[in-house]
Amino acid sequence: MTSAYLISIINSILRMTTPILFATLGCLLCNKVNVFNIALEGQMLIAAFAAISVNYYTHSIPLSMLAGVAAGGIVGFIVGIFQVKLKAKDMIVGTSMNLLVSSFTSYMLYILFATRGSLTGNGMVGLHKIPNFPESMPVLYGMFKNLTYLDVFGYITAVLIFIFLYRTVPGFHVMSVGLNKEATRSLGTKVDLTQILAVTMSGILCGLGGVALCMGNVVIFTEGMSAGRGYMAMAASSLAGAHPLGAILSSLFFGTAVASSIALQSYINGQITLSFPYIMTILIMAVSGYIKYRRENRHHIRKGKTK
Amino acid sequence: MKRKDTGRLAALLNTVSLPVIATILGLLLGALIMFLSGHDPLKVYSVMFDKSFINVNYLNQTLTKATPVIMCGISGAVAWRAGHINLGIEGQMVCGGITAIIIGLYMPGPAFLVTLCACIGACAAGALYALIPTFLQDKSHVSLIMVTLMMNYIANYLSTYLVSFPLKDTSSVNANQTMFIDDSLKFTRLFSNGQLSTGFILSIMTVIAVYLVMNYTSFGYESKMSGFNPYFAKYGGVRERRVMYLTMALSGAVAGFAGFVEVFGTKYRYSSNMIASSGYAWTGLMASLVGQYNPFAILFYSIFFSGLTIGGQALQRDFGIPLQIADIITSSIMLFVSINIGIHLFKAGRKQRTEKKEETGNKTPAKEAA
Repeated sequence: MTSAYLISIINSILRMTTPILFATLGCLLCNKVNVFNIALEGQMLIAAFAAISVNYYTHSIPLSMLAGVAAGGIVGFIVGIFQVKLKAKDMIVGTSMNLLVSSFTSYMLYILFATRGSLTGNGMVGLHKIPNFPESMPVLYGMFKNLTYLDVFGYITAVLIFIFLYRTVPGFHVMSVGLNKEATRSLGTKVDLTQILAVTMSGILCGLGGVALCMGNVVIFTEGMSAGRGYMAMAASSLAGAHPLGAILSSLFFGTAVASSIALQSYINGQITLSFPYIMTILIMAVSGYIKYRRENRHHIRKGKTK
Repeated sequence: MKRKDTGRLAALLNTVSLPVIATILGLLLGALIMFLSGHDPLKVYSVMFDKSFINVNYLNQTLTKATPVIMCGISGAVAWRAGHINLGIEGQMVCGGITAIIIGLYMPGPAFLVTLCACIGACAAGALYALIPTFLQDKSHVSLIMVTLMMNYIANYLSTYLVSFPLKDTSSVNANQTMFIDDSLKFTRLFSNGQLSTGFILSIMTVIAVYLVMNYTSFGYESKMSGFNPYFAKYGGVRERRVMYLTMALSGAVAGFAGFVEVFGTKYRYSSNMIASSGYAWTGLMASLVGQYNPFAILFYSIFFSGLTIGGQALQRDFGIPLQIADIITSSIMLFVSINIGIHLFKAGRKQRTEKKEETGNKTPAKEAA
């Protein structure tokens, strides 16, 4: 394994992390207000589809980003209304929303573009790339090659969310909703509104993730292209203990899992390596869950032994 | 006494009317989408229902499609009503299907024995695949939802690998699929034309068997109780971990059985992505939720949703409307069921009535208390 290969893998990790990071941040906001949102997958997919559709007709980066974010936000808003206001069961809303979005995007793909499977070409534009290091520094050049502004913005968003949640008064209000809804309501916070806004915000963040997914490296939309990233984001969020800065690390881990599954394809059969990220997700969740469980129940376990 | 009866009647009406209202709303939403994409909804729906339920040949296709869907729905209901959110039915069905095809292709012996072994193997594979997430949840408290979801992807990729390389039928160059199973193993077809096989009868027998197990055995009662109120169940002496493992194993076994029936009854071989792409598990799960875990309601909704899919295929051929319209209708029906539209309407009505009652006769409750 040469160093150039390693550098290209690091580059690929950075690019793969972005969509997961955005979705993880969205999931984390839902965790903070105690809403179980499994529609992240659908929020990402609809955003990717909306962004690519607008891109197809307008060739404008800001407009397609706006479309993606708006689409994700709308789906998030609907999920929020259903779960918070109408008291619908979270599992049923999330599952049916994901299925609805996946069939709706395939339907619209044919209605609008008369194509099935995927949509690409027609001079669609990708996101702007960040200015890179000069080629005289091959290591840094290779690592930061072809990164978009959105890739950088992901980490900035994580820090911004951290500052908002842990350093501002409205942020504390948001977190107190998750800790004790009734007590927060008694203090005069609009609890339902906060929850719905948080879910909408998760839709917007997933929307950015969807835009990064379809316009980041290659400009393409594929049916079901979110491929479980929304679910991975939920795992990443629980791994990070719903902390925004921890989310960066856990997303990088899942980005590594996805990137390595692609990199390993030159050694092991592709169908097997494609299942690696999912296997790694399960393993890491099992290990971290076990450690967390042990730590929380240390007292009880020791007590049981002495008895 | 009279009031109690009307209350029960209202509740029954509510459980029946809720899915019906949701279905009507779902069909209306589908009509709206068709109208917006430039088709006449009435004309499209008449063709859709003609080419799924009314025309005998298409009805045959609908029931063939419904065969695994019914079993997936039952599998989902078994786990969900016990409070274990099993989203991995697809993966469990894939495991069952792959095990069935391996036994069907490579086991020597009389046809009856091979079929029996394939059936048992498929159920065992599905059950084991469902026990992995259960074990993880039990030991390290990982969300069952997440693990079962992830395991769908793993099963799909690994099964694709198996049929693309070790099990691949080398005579077919383009498609990744296995060889056909021997003619003696194939299920008998019920009618001379059409694919409907004895598998459909098996799926109805599954419905009845699970109905009996769930309603007339102590395991069924314990499983239902732990879904209804886990604390009460524990207090009442239910060994909740044992019930959890058994419930998930039963759910996985039914899903694995669905995979076996699909391979031996309809497809006769395993081609890559065969189960995931047809969405049996998800349609079954939706039927299970819309039917509120009642086995006979699941039977009905599985056939209804499968019919929509078959009708959707006809629409794609006749009108150029993508077949996903069927999935849009189905998932929006489930979305409408989730918000309990019927209950909201019913509650709003009852609130008004009780408020009126309180205004007129305020003394009756005080009398009762005394």
